[in-house]
Amino acid sequence: MNTQQISTKQVSVKRYLPDSSAEPFWQQYELPVDDSTSLLDALNHIKEQLDSTLSYRWSCRMAICGSCGVMVNGIPKLGCKTFLRDYDGDIRIEPLSHFPVQRDLVMDMEIFLEHLAAVKPYLIDDNPVKSYDPQAPETYQQSPEQLARYKQFANCINCGLCYSACPQFGLNPEFLGPAALTLAHRYNLDSRDHGKKQRMAELNRHEGVWSCTFVGFCSKVCPKHVDPAAAVNQGKVEAAKHTLIALFKG
Amino acid sequence: MDKLSSQRLPPLKRNWWLKHRFFKLYMLREATVLPLVFFTLCLLAGMVALLQGAESWQGWIAFMRSPIVFVLNLLALAASLFHAATFFVLFPRVMPLRIAGHSLPDNMIVAGQWAGVVAVALLFFWLLGRA
Repeated sequence: MNTQQISTKQVSVKRYLPDSSAEPFWQQYELPVDDSTSLLDALNHIKEQLDSTLSYRWSCRMAICGSCGVMVNGIPKLGCKTFLRDYDGDIRIEPLSHFPVQRDLVMDMEIFLEHLAAVKPYLIDDNPVKSYDPQAPETYQQSPEQLARYKQFANCINCGLCYSACPQFGLNPEFLGPAALTLAHRYNLDSRDHGKKQRMAELNRHEGVWSCTFVGFCSKVCPKHVDPAAAVNQGKVEAAKHTLIALFKG
Repeated sequence: MDKLSSQRLPPLKRNWWLKHRFFKLYMLREATVLPLVFFTLCLLAGMVALLQGAESWQGWIAFMRSPIVFVLNLLALAASLFHAATFFVLFPRVMPLRIAGHSLPDNMIVAGQWAGVVAVALLFFWLLGRA
């Protein structure tokens, strides 16, 4: 890093060290930066050169793993996809909002994982092929048109930025939230899936799609352009249909 | 979740929406309902006045022509147009339309909705012109 060092920048990090201090505090770091310095590079520089006590999550460095999410000046961002060249003045780094903080920038994602599991985000097949049968039609065939229906919603990397952007999740953590509802919708749209009925019970309740008021900030902050707000609100249309059909079936 | 971590989750403050321009615009969109409630009450009062007879109806017309009521209803018109503008943009995301396997471009759906508004407005002015 920093082969063409241009300048230094100041980064403020919200520290929380429950072993030594009950309250979080701000700490400033001065770093060398060039045009290619990402926020994750900056955090790694702090950890390696300036302050080894800093805790944060990261892995892939290329917006695939979804583990380096933090608040940058109040906006949820992936550290690896955020570049210091885009910021003038103080850069304030905090752990992702609306999650309990464990230490420094490391927050507890348990509630998100619970919501995710609740919507069964995987293919559910009533009649899976149990053994190889050369006469049977090939399983799981899908046309490009069928793929196009859900492809955008399948790009979610579970980074949790949308949960930090969502005021409804901030007000009520029981709300299933953008990513879980998006993944539910993604599998409901999949031609290979037969689990819609099971997921609808979760989706079609107050803490499901109906807690969303289409603030839409989740879609603005999504680093993979999944557009969770669209998926959640398409889910409302499906939930309304589900209710109507149930009404007529009695 | 241990006790320490649960302590570090401050509840969302009531002024959360003041922190970002995006949230302020959202609250403005939601607030458009207030002048629209006023307009709806005006319409309701008009129908009651119509039932009560000619004198009451003339009174309602005078009420509607008073400057404050006129300004408030003008605000309601602006609010409904602003809400429509935000709603029309959201529509193709919530109900993506597909014709013969191809999805309609978003701006075409938005333009179609505005064309609908213009058509209804023209019909309204035509009816008003005949009356």
